[in-house]
Amino acid sequence: MNETISRLEEVTYDDAIVRKFLLACMVFAGVAFAAGLLAALQLAFFPLNMELPWLTFGRLRPLHTNAAIFAFAGNAIFAGIYHSTQRLLKTRMYSDRLSAIHFWGWQLIIVAAAISLPLGFSQGKEYAELEWPIDIAITLIWVIFAVNFFGTLAIRREKHMYVALWFYIATIVTVAVLHIVNSIEIPWSYMNSYPVWAGVQDALVQWWYGHNAVAFFLTTPFLGLMYYYLPKAANRPVYSYRLSIIHFWGLVFIYIWAGPHHLLYTSLPEWAQTLGMIFSIMLWAPSWGGMINGLLTLRGAWHLLRTDPIIKFMVAALTFYGMATFEGPLLSIKSVSAIGHYTDWIVGHVHAGALGWNGFLSFAMIYYLVPKLWKTKLYSDRLANVHFWLGFLGIVLYYVSMVAAGITQGLMWKAIGPEGQLVYPDFVETVVRIVPLYWARALGGAFFLGGFMVMCYNVYRTIAASTEVSNETVRVRNTRYSSAGEGHRALEGMVTVFSVLSLIAILVGSVIEIYPTLSLHSYIAKTANIDPYSPLEIAGRDIYIREGCYVCHSQQIRPMVSEVLRYGSPSTMEESIYDHPFQWGSKRTGPDLARVGKKYPDLWHFRHMVDPRSVVEKSIMPSYSWLVKDKTDFLSLRKKVSVLRNLGVPYSPEQVAQADRLAEEQAKSVAQAIHDQGGPEGLERREIVALIAYLQALGQKEKQPRPTDQVTVKE
Amino acid sequence: MEDHEYDGIQELDNPLPNWWLLTFLGTIIFAYLYYLHYESGSGPTINQELKADLAVIEAAKAKRGTKSDSEEELQKLLASAAVLNEGKAVFQGKCAACHGADLQGVIGPDLTDDYWLHGQGKLADIATIVRKGVVEKGMPPWDGQLKDAEVSAVTVYIVSKRGSHPANSKGPQGEKIVSN
Ligand code: HEC
Ligand code: HEC
Repeated sequence: MNETISRLEEVTYDDAIVRKFLLACMVFAGVAFAAGLLAALQLAFFPLNMELPWLTFGRLRPLHTNAAIFAFAGNAIFAGIYHSTQRLLKTRMYSDRLSAIHFWGWQLIIVAAAISLPLGFSQGKEYAELEWPIDIAITLIWVIFAVNFFGTLAIRREKHMYVALWFYIATIVTVAVLHIVNSIEIPWSYMNSYPVWAGVQDALVQWWYGHNAVAFFLTTPFLGLMYYYLPKAANRPVYSYRLSIIHFWGLVFIYIWAGPHHLLYTSLPEWAQTLGMIFSIMLWAPSWGGMINGLLTLRGAWHLLRTDPIIKFMVAALTFYGMATFEGPLLSIKSVSAIGHYTDWIVGHVHAGALGWNGFLSFAMIYYLVPKLWKTKLYSDRLANVHFWLGFLGIVLYYVSMVAAGITQGLMWKAIGPEGQLVYPDFVETVVRIVPLYWARALGGAFFLGGFMVMCYNVYRTIAASTEVSNETVRVRNTRYSSAGEGHRALEGMVTVFSVLSLIAILVGSVIEIYPTLSLHSYIAKTANIDPYSPLEIAGRDIYIREGCYVCHSQQIRPMVSEVLRYGSPSTMEESIYDHPFQWGSKRTGPDLARVGKKYPDLWHFRHMVDPRSVVEKSIMPSYSWLVKDKTDFLSLRKKVSVLRNLGVPYSPEQVAQADRLAEEQAKSVAQAIHDQGGPEGLERREIVALIAYLQALGQKEKQPRPTDQVTVKE
Repeated sequence: MEDHEYDGIQELDNPLPNWWLLTFLGTIIFAYLYYLHYESGSGPTINQELKADLAVIEAAKAKRGTKSDSEEELQKLLASAAVLNEGKAVFQGKCAACHGADLQGVIGPDLTDDYWLHGQGKLADIATIVRKGVVEKGMPPWDGQLKDAEVSAVTVYIVSKRGSHPANSKGPQGEKIVSN
């Protein structure tokens, strides 16, 4: 059949599902922002950790990031995709039932996360903390979403896919690949597991995932939303079709390579680091392609910037996007990373994107959609303007204070005096210096949250005034069978080919970077001069992961003079080869711990964990007093060690069979040491002993211990 | 204007802005050259750079020389209130966590009594221990951390507290030395 003109058909869109996702988005945005604000305040004022295990910074931060990414941004994406896809394809969603399963399944996942993260169930991998049952649920729900989305494409009444849909496709395909590969793990209990990846391998997979979560969860879907809602709201044609083609493929192909820029100066092989850096730099122009295509679409409509809050939010969002995607490549340059990495600069960078780009674009979408979905007018444009300025001020305050904090601290860490000594050998000195900036950041967060609450009120009043809620019905012409066109235009009519091409585009970089590291890993494992952790140390390590120590501490000494002087010889690939998961960290709110073993007596650690202020007066680290009360889980150790053995950690069968007994023996001797040094008695069954055993093992696992007064640098 | 339209959205087909295209090409060329330079041998590796930097530090250290702590010079400092004050500040900031605010001993030993684990309790002995530490016993080495003057000051401060009999002393550790 090849008729170009067909008759008009009536379509009723499913707007109920959009309303649901939108409201869920707003509820969880509130949770995410409030958790973020509390976490920010905890860094400025440690007593807010309140010595409550489930509320300490180490557990709260993952809750905040997961809520912001998957609950707030996730629901925003789904709302926008369900709304725009139906209209761009002139059809109702493929299956209302799948839509409902997707909605309720996703909210259930969020609830499970909101319960399990504060309880300390964590995989210890950033933005992938959720444990294996939830990982499986995410996979299933994502597949449901994909079936529903591609099903809708299959029944479309519009042959060609608009650019927004390209971005949705890339998102759905890539997130599936990232999530599955990064979450391959072996359970050792109904809620715990170890990843199959270890050390440098895990680091690379994790940051390939982590970076591309930013790319394909926080960038591509939002670009898709921008391509739909911006021209709709401004009622202007998109600036350049050609540009959208080039920057789409540029982004999809290049983004996937950039992960290693999170691992510059680590023990990741240098060629991979360099690849990460250069691809990040090449990402600059494709990213800006999206920004300029959006901004130039507003040519001739700039007056709206004054009158229309939606346009205001969108322009600010695009500007923040442009800023963040310029700063990203900048931070990927090795010498800039040397200063910025592990500092709050990165936190500032992320929030320019998260608050400015994702936040403001979502708000614009909400202001656009709510009146449409509830068939009424927005209650107050003035309040929307108030929201805009509060939010804007909040972001600026947040960003400026964090960049200042990051650069200040980064330079202090690196400062070396004329006599070849560190100028600030005391780590806590560099923390105290930036605490005022932590207050400024929290104030920025409070502004942002305040603005959001104004929006909630505005939306509430708008909805309250609505008298009619129904699904939109339109009469559309079926253009499914119009001529295919040539070149890219033809491709836009072929869903399967298009999807497979995007898949290939993201697989190229993935395979080239990851595969060699995997094989390298099995090679090192054979020759590694490293002893695995003892069972008690494993128990301690699991406590370290549970408490989220990795959100404040790195375990990776970079090959730079200032680091070597402060922490000792650079970390090597071998040292973390048995680390399932790796714990290199990404932020040093506290000092690096890769070689903290034997640096202090056991009693020092005991006192420090119970009350850091008792040994380091100005410390901002939370107190972990419950570790003195809670009992070590010796029983599960056999299971844990056996899982690790199956993953290739060289434990003997006896070590597996005797794991709990070996651990109890070691615990006795550590407890004795604490007592001998003047500490309390009878701690052998307490978690603190396991944790101390682990801390004392850090950097001490080489079979031939390295001389402590000498730096070893590999050729 | 492209001839298609999606839900009322139309598309223009403006050419790519030149500056944008040049930026894109520029970054690609830079990326290629950078990789070639650093990964095919001509540029230094990170570890080579580190070694060069470490050599500079070693040279600075050599120039500084290892200070030999002389008993007589330290003795002279005992009379200086300024030095004692500085020593107190250093001690409270860095040592009190382990030795207690009154030097009574907590994790590390009491430093006011006549019992010493290392050396004879003389000024020079103490300065040496402070510099080198006893790493395996949990006394950190302070050499790279404290300046020479600070080591002297804290040493003098410790000796000035000799016999102060603080409350809650950890009790004697080591050999009793009948020193000067
Ligand atoms: C809010 C961020 C934060 C969290 C979470 C945190 N720490 Fe810290 N940590 C710090 C800071 C800041 C310091 C430096 C001041 C001090 O020594 O207390 C520090 C210091 C340390 C030190 C001393 C390192 C040295 O070389 O002097 C150890 C050991 C340590 N932390 C272990 C832990 C463990 C174990 C956990 C998890 C149970 C943890 N930390 C959680 C911030 C944090
Ligand atoms: C992390 C805890 C810790 C810190 C901080 C610390 N010390 Fe010690 N110190 C110890 C321990 C433990 C010993 C005992 C070593 C041994 O058993 O051989 C010790 C021993 C000493 C001794 C030798 C005592 C003897 O009986 O021979 C001196 C002197 C000393 N410390 C001075 C200092 C000074 C000065 C500072 C601050 C600049 C300091 N310490 C900081 C833990 C510490």
